[in-house]
Amino acid sequence: MKNVVLLSASPKVNEPSVSKYLAGMVGDRLDASEVEKTYIDVRQSMMKHQIQRDFEALSEADALVIVFPLYVFCMPGILTRFLEDYYKFRSENNKTASNAKVYAVVNCGFPESEINLEAVRVIRSFCRHIGANFRFGVMIGGGGMFLAAKEAPFMKKVMAKLEEALSAIAKDISGEDRGDLNDIQIAMKFPRRLYLFMGNAGWGVLARKNGLHKKDLYKKPYLLNE
Amino acid sequence: MKASILSDKDYQNGLFQNLKGEINTLLDHKGFETEFMEIGQGDLAFCMGCFGCWTKKPGECMVSDRMASINRKFVQSDVFIYLSPVVFGQFSANIKNALDRWIPNILPFFEVRPDGSTMHPSRYDALPKVIIIGYGDGLLEEDVQLFTDITKKHRRGVEVFVYQGEHEKISGEFSAMNFGKVGPEL
Repeated sequence: MKNVVLLSASPKVNEPSVSKYLAGMVGDRLDASEVEKTYIDVRQSMMKHQIQRDFEALSEADALVIVFPLYVFCMPGILTRFLEDYYKFRSENNKTASNAKVYAVVNCGFPESEINLEAVRVIRSFCRHIGANFRFGVMIGGGGMFLAAKEAPFMKKVMAKLEEALSAIAKDISGEDRGDLNDIQIAMKFPRRLYLFMGNAGWGVLARKNGLHKKDLYKKPYLLNE
Repeated sequence: MKASILSDKDYQNGLFQNLKGEINTLLDHKGFETEFMEIGQGDLAFCMGCFGCWTKKPGECMVSDRMASINRKFVQSDVFIYLSPVVFGQFSANIKNALDRWIPNILPFFEVRPDGSTMHPSRYDALPKVIIIGYGDGLLEEDVQLFTDITKKHRRGVEVFVYQGEHEKISGEFSAMNFGKVGPEL
């Protein structure tokens, strides 16, 4: 029986999380008769003071899938804290090289999937430092659309590609090693200009919902003399 | 001219003290009034990705903690320097958290930069010169390169380098930089 940890690291509190959804998609593709699955949500782990227990689970994992949103071009601070502390936990408890297979699934709000590359490289570096076996990353652009639009006809091909990528992780964990260890990129098949236009229009709608005018979004509270 | 320096309270080794001392001297020679700020574990809440700083209280984080004064200092400084330990080729958790929570200073909208990449515009017309300095003893070459790429590949006008105790590294890097406010291009 293999131990697999599916770690999702959305910093959001009580809001739907793309990362959790994607971690679930990987988990659904793992055969429960062969694999013991442990889901860890980093925010919940910290809030419920389960960090030590979860670090133990991580250190016993045969495979670790780390799913997170891109924050300012790399890992969110909350995941950085978790992994930095996990590294210290390993040192303090004299853990030897992990040997776990590790995968990174990163999604970003910008449409370009390739901007996730440095975040995947950070997970690769983390693996070098704990002696784990980094396998490959899945880099997703336009991640903000997944939960809202996953059923839409224009998403069909992208969803198929995503399912294929996440199945590749599940198969690689199960022992059918993926020969090609290049990272997989998944971008929305949606006109970029329209994506940006819709995104921009959406902020005005949110402002109005919060009782603000669109011009309020441009406030400069820290400008001297204002 | 005002310079603000943000550092990680939890990684203040000898290398850090050298770095801080040298920067302080160099800024002093340039006539800067320098303020040092330190953040440690637990000092700042994690960003919650709530977008309140864009759509509820534009320009300000919904969480009331030290980040409000750090963001105010950012906007009102001529130079803002991050001193970050290099951890897994990235910023340390404390510094990364401060970077995540810097986003009140940008607008929610998307813009396309000249190289075709997407970015959010700056909220302010003028920004401090941002200098990011990573430090660490015996760093792996891959981690040094990654630390540089994380910033250089995605941000315009931000200076970044990694210090591992090399003599005159900082004065050499600083001599090639222009100090003072820059435009809003991110």
